[in-house]
Amino acid sequence: MNKGFIVVASRKNNFYIYAINLIESIKDFYPEVHVTLVTEERFLDGREDIADNIIFCDDHYRAKLWGMANSPYDITMYVDADMECEHEDIMTVWDNLGDNDMVFHELTEERSKYYTIRHFDIENKEKEGWFSLCGGVCLYRSSNPLVKEFMNEWYELYDLQHSNLWRPDCFTNDKQWNSLKKFDQTTLWYMVNRMDKYKDLKIGFFHDDIRWNYFTQYQYENLKSIENKPVILRHYSGCLEKDKALV
Amino acid sequence: MERTWLDNAFWETPKKRILNCISEHIDEEGRIVRKVMKLKEQHPQFKECVDFLGEDVIDAYTKERKERKFLETELEREKDAEQQRARKLEKLFKYKLETFEIPEIKSTTNRKLKSKLRRSRSIPEVNLYAMMILQESLKDE
Repeated sequence: MNKGFIVVASRKNNFYIYAINLIESIKDFYPEVHVTLVTEERFLDGREDIADNIIFCDDHYRAKLWGMANSPYDITMYVDADMECEHEDIMTVWDNLGDNDMVFHELTEERSKYYTIRHFDIENKEKEGWFSLCGGVCLYRSSNPLVKEFMNEWYELYDLQHSNLWRPDCFTNDKQWNSLKKFDQTTLWYMVNRMDKYKDLKIGFFHDDIRWNYFTQYQYENLKSIENKPVILRHYSGCLEKDKALV
Repeated sequence: MERTWLDNAFWETPKKRILNCISEHIDEEGRIVRKVMKLKEQHPQFKECVDFLGEDVIDAYTKERKERKFLETELEREKDAEQQRARKLEKLFKYKLETFEIPEIKSTTNRKLKSKLRRSRSIPEVNLYAMMILQESLKDE
Protein backbone atom coordinates (compact mmCIF):
# COMPACT_ATOMS: atom_id res chain seq x y z
CA MET A 1 0.00 0.00 0.00
CA ASN A 2 1.60 3.27 -1.05
CA LYS A 3 1.47 6.25 1.23
CA GLY A 4 2.47 9.82 0.70
CA PHE A 5 2.02 13.48 1.45
CA ILE A 6 0.19 16.01 -0.70
CA VAL A 7 1.03 19.70 -0.61
CA VAL A 8 -0.86 22.17 -2.79
CA ALA A 9 0.44 25.57 -3.95
CA SER A 10 -1.67 27.57 -6.34
CA ARG A 11 -2.75 31.12 -7.21
CA LYS A 12 0.08 32.92 -5.44
CA ASN A 13 3.80 32.41 -5.77
CA ASN A 14 4.21 32.70 -2.00
CA PHE A 15 2.34 29.43 -1.58
CA TYR A 16 4.92 27.75 -3.81
CA ILE A 17 7.68 29.14 -1.56
CA TYR A 18 5.85 27.96 1.57
CA ALA A 19 5.25 24.56 -0.03
CA ILE A 20 8.92 24.04 -0.92
CA ASN A 21 9.91 24.93 2.63
CA LEU A 22 7.29 22.57 4.04
CA ILE A 23 8.36 19.65 1.84
CA GLU A 24 12.01 20.21 2.68
CA SER A 25 11.17 20.36 6.38
CA ILE A 26 9.21 17.11 6.18
CA LYS A 27 12.12 15.46 4.39
CA ASP A 28 14.56 16.79 6.99
CA PHE A 29 12.91 14.41 9.46
CA TYR A 30 11.49 11.77 7.15
CA PRO A 31 13.78 11.54 4.11
CA GLU A 32 12.23 8.44 2.58
CA VAL A 33 8.68 9.78 2.53
CA HIS A 34 7.00 10.26 -0.84
CA VAL A 35 5.64 13.76 -1.45
CA THR A 36 3.46 15.06 -4.27
CA LEU A 37 3.41 18.77 -4.99
CA VAL A 38 0.27 20.01 -6.68
CA THR A 39 1.08 23.37 -8.23
CA GLU A 40 0.89 25.62 -11.26
CA GLU A 41 3.59 25.23 -13.91
CA ARG A 42 4.33 28.98 -13.90
CA PHE A 43 5.72 28.80 -10.35
CA LEU A 44 8.41 26.18 -10.97
CA ASP A 45 11.96 27.42 -10.31
CA GLY A 46 13.97 24.24 -9.91
CA ARG A 47 13.28 23.78 -6.20
CA GLU A 48 10.30 21.59 -7.00
CA ASP A 49 12.81 18.74 -7.43
CA ILE A 50 12.48 18.15 -3.70
CA ALA A 51 9.05 16.66 -4.44
CA ASP A 52 8.89 13.10 -5.71
CA ASN A 53 5.95 13.82 -7.92
CA ILE A 54 4.42 16.93 -9.42
CA ILE A 55 0.82 17.35 -10.51
CA PHE A 56 -0.17 20.52 -12.30
CA CYS A 57 -3.34 22.29 -11.29
CA ASP A 58 -5.00 25.51 -12.38
CA ASP A 59 -5.38 28.67 -10.30
CA HIS A 60 -8.70 27.65 -8.77
CA TYR A 61 -9.49 29.23 -5.41
CA ARG A 62 -9.61 25.81 -3.83
CA ALA A 63 -7.06 23.83 -5.82
CA LYS A 64 -6.42 22.27 -2.42
CA LEU A 65 -9.60 20.20 -2.69
CA TRP A 66 -8.85 19.24 -6.28
CA GLY A 67 -5.39 18.15 -5.22
CA MET A 68 -6.78 16.09 -2.34
CA ALA A 69 -9.18 14.38 -4.73
CA ASN A 70 -6.37 13.57 -7.16
CA SER A 71 -3.97 11.94 -4.75
CA PRO A 72 -1.82 9.23 -6.36
CA TYR A 73 -1.54 7.39 -3.04
CA ASP A 74 -3.61 4.73 -1.27
CA ILE A 75 -3.21 6.59 1.99
CA THR A 76 -2.67 10.32 1.81
CA MET A 77 -1.61 12.95 4.28
CA TYR A 78 -2.67 16.39 3.09
CA VAL A 79 -0.88 19.33 4.73
CA ASP A 80 -1.55 23.06 4.16
CA ALA A 81 1.42 24.67 2.40
CA ASP A 82 1.97 27.37 5.04
CA MET A 83 3.11 24.88 7.64
CA GLU A 84 6.49 23.59 8.71
CA CYS A 85 7.55 20.25 10.12
CA GLU A 86 9.51 20.41 13.37
CA HIS A 87 9.67 16.90 14.72
CA GLU A 88 10.66 13.38 13.80
CA ASP A 89 7.29 12.05 14.98
CA ILE A 90 6.12 13.06 11.51
CA MET A 91 7.15 9.48 10.64
CA THR A 92 4.35 8.15 12.84
CA VAL A 93 1.68 9.96 10.86
CA TRP A 94 0.24 6.78 9.32
CA ASP A 95 -0.49 5.28 12.76
CA ASN A 96 -3.19 7.90 13.21
CA LEU A 97 -5.45 6.44 10.57
CA GLY A 98 -6.36 3.28 12.51
CA ASP A 99 -9.62 2.01 11.06
CA ASN A 100 -10.79 5.50 10.10
CA ASP A 101 -11.35 6.69 6.55
CA MET A 102 -10.45 10.27 7.33
CA VAL A 103 -8.65 11.92 10.21
CA PHE A 104 -8.67 15.63 10.98
CA HIS A 105 -7.53 18.23 13.49
CA GLU A 106 -10.32 19.07 15.89
CA LEU A 107 -11.77 22.52 16.24
CA THR A 108 -12.56 22.61 19.95
CA GLU A 109 -14.21 25.36 21.99
CA GLU A 110 -10.84 26.15 23.55
CA ARG A 111 -9.31 26.71 20.10
CA SER A 112 -12.30 28.47 18.58
CA LYS A 113 -11.01 31.97 19.33
CA TYR A 114 -8.75 31.71 16.31
CA TYR A 115 -11.36 30.62 13.80
CA THR A 116 -13.67 32.99 11.97
CA ILE A 117 -16.86 31.00 12.54
CA ARG A 118 -17.57 28.10 14.84
CA HIS A 119 -21.31 28.08 15.51
CA PHE A 120 -24.03 28.84 12.99
CA ASP A 121 -27.79 28.54 12.60
CA ILE A 122 -29.33 25.48 11.02
CA GLU A 123 -32.99 25.23 9.96
CA ASN A 124 -33.72 28.45 11.85
CA LYS A 125 -32.33 27.00 15.07
CA GLU A 126 -29.78 29.30 16.56
CA LYS A 127 -26.24 27.94 16.76
CA GLU A 128 -27.47 24.42 15.98
CA GLY A 129 -24.54 23.75 13.69
CA TRP A 130 -20.87 23.96 14.52
CA PHE A 131 -17.61 23.23 12.79
CA SER A 132 -15.53 20.62 14.50
CA LEU A 133 -13.32 19.46 11.64
CA CYS A 134 -10.38 21.60 10.61
CA GLY A 135 -8.94 20.77 7.20
CA GLY A 136 -5.45 22.20 7.72
CA VAL A 137 -4.25 18.62 7.80
CA CYS A 138 -6.14 15.55 6.68
CA LEU A 139 -5.05 11.94 6.66
CA TYR A 140 -7.31 9.84 4.48
CA ARG A 141 -7.75 6.49 2.83
CA SER A 142 -7.64 7.67 -0.75
CA SER A 143 -7.84 4.10 -2.08
CA ASN A 144 -11.38 3.80 -0.70
CA PRO A 145 -13.72 4.65 -3.62
CA LEU A 146 -16.18 6.35 -1.26
CA VAL A 147 -13.44 8.58 0.14
CA LYS A 148 -12.33 9.39 -3.39
CA GLU A 149 -15.90 10.28 -4.28
CA PHE A 150 -16.14 12.36 -1.12
CA MET A 151 -13.04 14.35 -2.03
CA ASN A 152 -14.24 14.91 -5.59
CA GLU A 153 -17.64 16.02 -4.42
CA TRP A 154 -16.14 18.25 -1.76
CA TYR A 155 -14.30 20.10 -4.53
CA GLU A 156 -17.30 20.19 -6.88
CA LEU A 157 -19.83 21.34 -4.28
CA TYR A 158 -17.48 23.91 -2.87
CA ASP A 159 -16.94 25.28 -6.35
CA LEU A 160 -20.71 25.66 -6.78
CA GLN A 161 -21.12 27.09 -3.29
CA HIS A 162 -18.40 29.65 -3.85
CA SER A 163 -19.99 30.66 -7.18
CA ASN A 164 -23.41 31.13 -5.55
CA LEU A 165 -24.82 28.13 -7.44
CA TRP A 166 -25.40 25.87 -4.47
CA ARG A 167 -26.87 26.58 -1.06
CA PRO A 168 -28.35 23.76 0.99
CA ASP A 169 -31.78 24.58 2.49
CA CYS A 170 -30.59 23.94 6.02
CA PHE A 171 -28.50 27.13 6.00
CA THR A 172 -31.40 29.44 6.71
CA ASN A 173 -29.62 32.52 7.98
CA ASP A 174 -28.89 34.80 4.99
CA LYS A 175 -26.44 37.01 6.82
CA GLN A 176 -24.44 34.04 8.07
CA TRP A 177 -24.53 32.40 4.66
CA ASN A 178 -22.58 35.30 3.19
CA SER A 179 -19.68 34.28 5.42
CA LEU A 180 -20.30 30.55 5.44
CA LYS A 181 -20.27 30.24 1.66
CA LYS A 182 -16.62 31.29 1.57
CA PHE A 183 -15.46 28.31 3.59
CA ASP A 184 -14.78 24.81 2.32
CA GLN A 185 -15.48 23.82 5.93
CA THR A 186 -19.14 24.64 5.29
CA THR A 187 -19.24 22.13 2.43
CA LEU A 188 -17.40 19.63 4.59
CA TRP A 189 -19.91 20.10 7.42
CA TYR A 190 -22.83 19.56 5.06
CA MET A 191 -21.33 16.45 3.49
CA VAL A 192 -20.48 14.86 6.83
CA ASN A 193 -23.71 15.80 8.61
CA ARG A 194 -26.37 15.87 5.93
CA MET A 195 -25.42 13.56 3.08
CA ASP A 196 -26.63 10.01 3.59
CA LYS A 197 -24.21 8.42 1.19
CA TYR A 198 -21.27 9.44 3.36
CA LYS A 199 -22.77 8.51 6.71
CA ASP A 200 -20.77 5.29 6.92
CA LEU A 201 -17.43 6.99 6.48
CA LYS A 202 -15.39 6.74 9.64
CA ILE A 203 -14.06 10.11 10.62
CA GLY A 204 -11.65 10.64 13.48
CA PHE A 205 -9.04 12.94 14.91
CA PHE A 206 -5.27 12.69 15.16
CA HIS A 207 -4.03 11.44 18.49
CA ASP A 208 -2.99 14.49 20.52
CA ASP A 209 -4.11 16.39 17.44
CA ILE A 210 -2.76 19.79 18.47
CA ARG A 211 0.72 18.50 17.61
CA TRP A 212 -0.32 17.92 14.00
CA ASN A 213 -1.68 21.37 13.23
CA TYR A 214 -0.35 23.80 15.77
CA PHE A 215 -1.49 27.27 14.73
CA THR A 216 1.04 29.79 15.97
CA GLN A 217 -1.83 31.63 17.67
CA TYR A 218 -2.44 28.60 19.91
CA GLN A 219 0.73 29.58 21.68
CA TYR A 220 -0.74 33.00 22.51
CA GLU A 221 -3.12 31.10 24.80
CA ASN A 222 -0.44 28.67 25.90
CA LEU A 223 -2.37 25.73 24.45
CA LYS A 224 -0.32 22.58 24.73
CA SER A 225 -0.22 18.95 23.69
CA ILE A 226 -2.16 16.72 26.08
CA GLU A 227 0.97 14.61 26.50
CA ASN A 228 3.17 17.68 26.74
CA LYS A 229 4.99 16.65 23.58
CA PRO A 230 6.57 18.96 21.01
CA VAL A 231 4.81 20.31 17.95
CA ILE A 232 5.13 18.20 14.80
CA LEU A 233 3.58 20.55 12.25
CA ARG A 234 3.34 24.26 12.98
CA HIS A 235 0.82 26.32 11.03
CA TYR A 236 1.81 29.88 10.16
CA SER A 237 -1.34 30.91 8.31
CA GLY A 238 -2.25 33.66 10.75
CA CYS A 239 0.96 35.62 10.42
CA LEU A 240 1.89 35.44 6.75
CA GLU A 241 1.18 38.14 4.19
CA LYS A 242 0.29 35.87 1.34
CA ASP A 243 -0.19 38.58 -1.28
CA LYS A 244 3.01 40.46 -0.57
CA ALA A 245 6.18 39.40 -2.39
CA LEU A 246 8.66 37.92 0.09
CA VAL A 247 11.63 39.79 -1.34
CA MET B 1 -33.36 47.14 58.27
CA GLU B 2 -31.68 43.80 58.75
CA ARG B 3 -28.29 43.67 57.12
CA THR B 4 -26.29 40.55 56.33
CA TRP B 5 -22.78 40.15 54.96
CA LEU B 6 -21.56 37.91 52.12
CA ASP B 7 -18.90 35.45 53.20
CA ASN B 8 -16.39 36.66 50.58
CA ALA B 9 -15.07 39.55 52.66
CA PHE B 10 -11.31 39.89 52.76
CA TRP B 11 -8.61 41.99 54.42
CA GLU B 12 -7.10 44.61 52.15
CA THR B 13 -3.96 44.88 54.27
CA PRO B 14 -1.93 42.35 56.31
CA LYS B 15 -2.63 44.34 59.47
CA LYS B 16 -6.39 43.80 58.94
CA ARG B 17 -7.23 47.50 59.14
CA ILE B 18 -9.19 47.73 55.90
CA LEU B 19 -11.94 45.30 55.08
CA ASN B 20 -13.38 44.73 51.63
CA CYS B 21 -16.90 43.34 51.98
CA ILE B 22 -20.40 43.17 50.52
CA SER B 23 -23.52 43.90 52.56
CA GLU B 24 -27.00 42.74 51.64
CA HIS B 25 -30.42 43.98 52.75
CA ILE B 26 -34.00 44.07 51.53
CA ASP B 27 -35.37 47.54 50.74
CA GLU B 28 -38.94 48.84 51.26
CA GLU B 29 -40.01 47.45 47.88
CA GLY B 30 -38.71 43.99 48.69
CA ARG B 31 -35.68 44.16 46.43
CA ILE B 32 -32.34 42.71 47.47
CA VAL B 33 -29.76 45.49 47.64
CA ARG B 34 -26.05 44.70 47.69
CA LYS B 35 -23.34 47.22 48.53
CA VAL B 36 -19.65 46.71 47.96
CA MET B 37 -17.68 48.48 50.67
CA LYS B 38 -14.13 49.16 51.64
CA LEU B 39 -14.28 49.82 55.38
CA LYS B 40 -11.62 51.27 57.63
CA GLU B 41 -11.21 49.95 61.15
CA GLN B 42 -12.88 52.99 62.71
CA HIS B 43 -16.03 52.63 60.58
CA PRO B 44 -18.97 51.25 62.64
CA GLN B 45 -19.90 48.70 59.99
CA PHE B 46 -16.36 47.30 60.12
CA LYS B 47 -17.04 45.73 63.50
CA GLU B 48 -20.55 44.75 62.45
CA CYS B 49 -19.22 42.77 59.49
CA VAL B 50 -16.41 41.13 61.48
CA ASP B 51 -18.84 40.13 64.22
CA PHE B 52 -21.32 38.80 61.66
CA LEU B 53 -18.85 36.68 59.67
CA GLY B 54 -16.20 35.97 62.28
CA GLU B 55 -12.51 36.78 61.85
CA ASP B 56 -11.63 33.17 60.93
CA VAL B 57 -13.96 33.22 57.92
CA ILE B 58 -12.46 36.48 56.69
CA ASP B 59 -8.92 35.16 57.27
CA ALA B 60 -9.68 31.98 55.35
CA TYR B 61 -11.21 33.82 52.39
CA THR B 62 -8.35 36.35 52.34
CA LYS B 63 -5.87 33.47 52.14
CA GLU B 64 -7.83 31.66 49.43
CA ARG B 65 -8.21 34.86 47.41
CA LYS B 66 -4.52 35.68 47.70
CA GLU B 67 -3.56 32.24 46.45
CA ARG B 68 -6.06 32.44 43.59
CA LYS B 69 -4.84 35.90 42.57
CA PHE B 70 -1.25 34.68 42.68
CA LEU B 71 -2.09 31.74 40.39
CA GLU B 72 -4.03 34.00 38.01
CA THR B 73 -1.09 36.41 37.80
CA GLU B 74 1.31 33.54 37.20
CA LEU B 75 -0.92 32.15 34.46
CA GLU B 76 -1.21 35.56 32.85
CA ARG B 77 2.55 36.05 33.01
CA GLU B 78 3.12 32.63 31.47
CA LYS B 79 0.62 33.43 28.72
CA ASP B 80 2.34 36.72 27.97
CA ALA B 81 5.71 35.00 27.79
CA GLU B 82 4.28 32.34 25.44
CA GLN B 83 2.73 35.02 23.28
CA GLN B 84 6.07 36.77 22.99
CA ARG B 85 7.73 33.49 22.10
CA ALA B 86 5.07 32.84 19.43
CA ARG B 87 5.52 36.32 17.91
CA LYS B 88 9.28 35.78 17.84
CA LEU B 89 8.81 32.43 16.15
CA GLU B 90 6.51 33.96 13.52
CA LYS B 91 9.06 36.69 12.84
CA LEU B 92 11.82 34.11 12.63
CA PHE B 93 9.81 32.01 10.18
CA LYS B 94 9.27 34.99 7.88
CA TYR B 95 12.95 35.88 8.13
CA LYS B 96 13.93 32.33 7.16
CA LEU B 97 11.60 32.37 4.16
CA GLU B 98 13.22 35.60 2.99
CA THR B 99 16.67 34.11 3.51
CA PHE B 100 15.73 31.08 1.42
CA GLU B 101 15.01 33.49 -1.45
CA ILE B 102 18.65 34.66 -1.64
CA PRO B 103 19.75 33.22 -5.02
CA GLU B 104 22.76 31.29 -3.65
CA ILE B 105 20.65 29.75 -0.90
CA LYS B 106 17.76 29.11 -3.21
CA SER B 107 19.99 27.08 -5.53
CA THR B 108 22.18 25.35 -2.97
CA THR B 109 22.30 21.58 -3.09
CA ASN B 110 23.71 21.40 0.43
CA ARG B 111 20.63 19.99 2.12
CA LYS B 112 22.45 19.60 5.42
CA LEU B 113 23.23 23.31 5.76
CA LYS B 114 19.82 24.30 4.48
CA SER B 115 18.24 22.06 7.07
CA LYS B 116 20.42 23.59 9.81
CA LEU B 117 19.30 27.03 8.65
CA ARG B 118 15.66 25.96 8.79
CA ARG B 119 16.04 24.60 12.33
CA SER B 120 17.78 27.75 13.58
CA ARG B 121 16.28 29.14 16.77
CA SER B 122 17.31 32.76 16.25
CA ILE B 123 18.05 35.32 13.54
CA PRO B 124 21.83 35.34 14.23
CA GLU B 125 21.84 31.56 13.83
CA VAL B 126 20.00 31.88 10.51
CA ASN B 127 22.59 34.44 9.39
CA LEU B 128 25.41 32.15 10.37
CA TYR B 129 24.17 29.25 8.24
CA ALA B 130 23.28 31.61 5.41
CA MET B 131 26.89 32.86 5.45
CA MET B 132 28.18 29.29 5.35
CA ILE B 133 26.05 28.54 2.29
CA LEU B 134 27.22 31.76 0.61
CA GLN B 135 30.86 30.93 1.37
CA GLU B 136 30.42 27.50 -0.12
CA SER B 137 28.87 28.99 -3.23
CA LEU B 138 31.77 31.48 -3.58
CA LYS B 139 34.26 28.62 -3.27
CA ASP B 140 32.51 26.79 -6.08
CA GLU B 141 32.73 29.80 -8.40
